Amino acid sequence: MASRFRFAALGSAIVMVVAACTGGGATPSPSVAAPSAPASVAASASASAATASGSPALAEVCTAPPKHEGQTVTFVSYGGAYQEAQRKGFLQPYSQLTGVQFTEEEGTDYAKIKSQVEAGQVTWDIVDVGNDFGLDANADLLEPLDYNLIAKDQILEGFAGTYRVADMTYGVAMAYNTDKTAGKVPAGWADFFDLQKFPGNRGFWKYATGGVLEFALMADGVDPKQLYPLDVDRALRKLDTIKDSIVWWDTGAQSQERIGSGEYALTMIWNGRGWSAKHTDNKPVEMVWKNQFLTADFLVIPKGSPNKDIAMEFIAWATCANNNANPSKYIPYGPTNKFATADPKNVADLAVSNVDESTAYFDDAYLVDNFDELDAKFQAWVGQ
Amino acid sequence: MLRSDRPAGGPIVNRWAALAVPAIVFLVIGFLVPLLVIASRSVTEFPKSADHSLLANYQRFFAGEANVRVLGNTFWIAGLSTVACLLIGYPYAYLMNLVRPRVAGLLLIAVLVPLWSSLLVRTFAWDVILRDTGIINRTLIAIGLIDGPLPLLRETHSVLLGMTQILLPFMVLPIYTVMRRIDPEYGKAAANLGAPPIRAFVRVFLPLSLPGVIAGCLLVFVLALGFYITPAILGSPKNTMLSEFIVLKATTGTLDWGLASAMAMVLLVLTLVVLFVASRFVRVRDVFGSIDQE
Repeated sequence: MASRFRFAALGSAIVMVVAACTGGGATPSPSVAAPSAPASVAASASASAATASGSPALAEVCTAPPKHEGQTVTFVSYGGAYQEAQRKGFLQPYSQLTGVQFTEEEGTDYAKIKSQVEAGQVTWDIVDVGNDFGLDANADLLEPLDYNLIAKDQILEGFAGTYRVADMTYGVAMAYNTDKTAGKVPAGWADFFDLQKFPGNRGFWKYATGGVLEFALMADGVDPKQLYPLDVDRALRKLDTIKDSIVWWDTGAQSQERIGSGEYALTMIWNGRGWSAKHTDNKPVEMVWKNQFLTADFLVIPKGSPNKDIAMEFIAWATCANNNANPSKYIPYGPTNKFATADPKNVADLAVSNVDESTAYFDDAYLVDNFDELDAKFQAWVGQ
Repeated sequence: MLRSDRPAGGPIVNRWAALAVPAIVFLVIGFLVPLLVIASRSVTEFPKSADHSLLANYQRFFAGEANVRVLGNTFWIAGLSTVACLLIGYPYAYLMNLVRPRVAGLLLIAVLVPLWSSLLVRTFAWDVILRDTGIINRTLIAIGLIDGPLPLLRETHSVLLGMTQILLPFMVLPIYTVMRRIDPEYGKAAANLGAPPIRAFVRVFLPLSLPGVIAGCLLVFVLALGFYITPAILGSPKNTMLSEFIVLKATTGTLDWGLASAMAMVLLVLTLVVLFVASRFVRVRDVFGSIDQE
C-alpha cells in the first residue's frame, strides 16, 4: 500500500532525473489486520495447517523449513515500526530455524524493482508491496510463486495470486475526531458527505485508485459488491457536493496528524494510522468500520532473484498458520492465513474483526489496468 | 593563466585541464547518459495496451487535460516564485552591500540558515502555522477579529510563501556577489556629475548589478520548475506541479516510465526554450562569465 508518494526525492532536484530514481521517505504505515477465522479454529494452528493442506511438504516448511547456513537474502519492506514487527515476527525466528541471514532495506519502491530486473542485477529477494503491485501488469518483473509450498487454500479468498501472496491485511476506513463531531457518531459514508450534520474539513487520500471514488459511490447508495467497473462520473458528482471541504492528504502520517489535531473532522484513513492517532498520539479519534475496504500488503520475489528458492521457502513459512500471526505480537497488524490467530489484545481494532456484509474489496486488477484512465479523470476534476 | 605563461613546446592542452576530467566524467555518467536513456525511453517504451508509435507517449501527454494544465501551472508557479524572490532578494542583497562587513556577515548567515534545515520540516511547519486550526487562525478567532478561519493555506499564496522561503538564498547570493564587485567610486562619480541618488542608482548601479539579477532569476526559476512537495503540502490540487505527475507515473500503477520520460522531456525542452528566449535579451555568457572574473 501507499508506496506512491516518495516525499524525499526532493523538489529542488533537476527534474529529468526523476524517472530514474525516487528516494525513500514517507513511510506508509500499513494497518492492523486479523484473521477472519474464529479464534477457536486456531487453537492448534500447526496441526490444522498440516491437515488442511494434506501435503507433507507444506507441513514441513511450516515447522522445519530447509536449513541454509550462511546464506544471505535481502528483505525489503516499508520500514519503521512495521518492518520492525516483521523483523521480530518473521525474520529473526526464521534465521534461528534455518541459519538464513537477512539483509534488510527500508523503503519498498516498485520503480527500483523494475530497474533491477531490467538491468539484470537483482539484489532484492523478498519485497513487501502494496495491493496495487504484483498483478499480471507486473508479470515481467516477478517470479511466479510456488503454490506447492505455499498453502493457497488457507489464505483469505482473493489474497493469493500468481505473483504475490498477502502477508497481512488492513482496512481502509473512516476515522472521526470526537471533539469535532461533538460526540455524534457518523453512521457511514453518507454522513461523511453531510456537511450540515457534521461540519468541518474532510480528509481523502489524493490518489485516484486508493478508495476515494469508491467511498463516494457507496455514500451515493452503490452496493459495495457492485462497485466495479467504477462509475467515475457519478463518483465525482458526489464528491463535488463536498469538494470545498476536502483537504487532501498525500501520506499516511498526514492523515494521522490531521485527524488527531482536529484539522479534519472526518477522514478516510488506513486503520493502522487511525489506531496510532488514538493509542500512540492519545487523540480523540474513533473509527467507523461500515463500508471499510479490506485489503493487504503482499510478498513478491523480483524476477531473477539469485535466492529465489530460499525466498520461496521463507514466504511459504511466513504465511503458514503457525507463523503468520507472529508480527501481531509486536504491532497491531494481523495475519492473512485463515487459521492463524492475532494477538488477543488487538483483536477488536483489527480490520478483519470488523468485516461484515457492508465490507468492500478492491478489484486490484481493474484498478491497475485502468489506472491511466481513472487517474486522468480524477486529476482533471481535482485540479479544477 | 595567460597563454604566454605556457612553456614553449609544452602540451597543447593545458596540464591544469586534467583537473576537470573527474567533473567531465561525472557529468557524462551522472547526467548525460541518464538524460539520453530518458529521451530514448520516451519514444520506445509503452504500456502493453497503448499505441506503440514513436510519439505516442507525447500524444498521450498532450491529450490529457490535467497534464497540460499542470504543465502551464508549473511554469506559472516557477515564474511567480522567481518574481517574489527577486522582490525580496534584491533589496536584501542591496542592504548587505551597504552595511559594515560584520553586519553583512550576519545577514548572510540569516539567509543561509534555511539552507541547513530540511525542506520537509520547513514545509510542514508552514502547514502547522497556516492551517485552519493553526496558531494564526486560532489567535485571530480567540481575540474576536474573525469568526471563521481565514483561507491561509491551500492557496497559491501559501505555495509562494513556502517556495520563496526555500529559494531565496539562490537569488540573494548571486546578486550580492555581483554587487560587491561594483566599484563604489562609480556612484561617487555619478554624484559628482550631478546625478541625484535615485538616478545614480537607476543609471549606474542597477545596470551593473543586472548580471547577478539574471543569474539569480535563472537559478531560482529552474530550481522552482522541479518542485512538487511544497505545492502538494501547502497548496491545493490546483497548484499541482508536473514533477508530482512524473513521480506518480514512474512509481505507481503500471510503472509507466515511457510517459514519465516524455513528461520529463517536455519539461526539459520547454525549460531550454525559456533559457534560449532569455539569451536573446541578455548575454548568458556575461551572466555566468561574471562569476569568474574576480
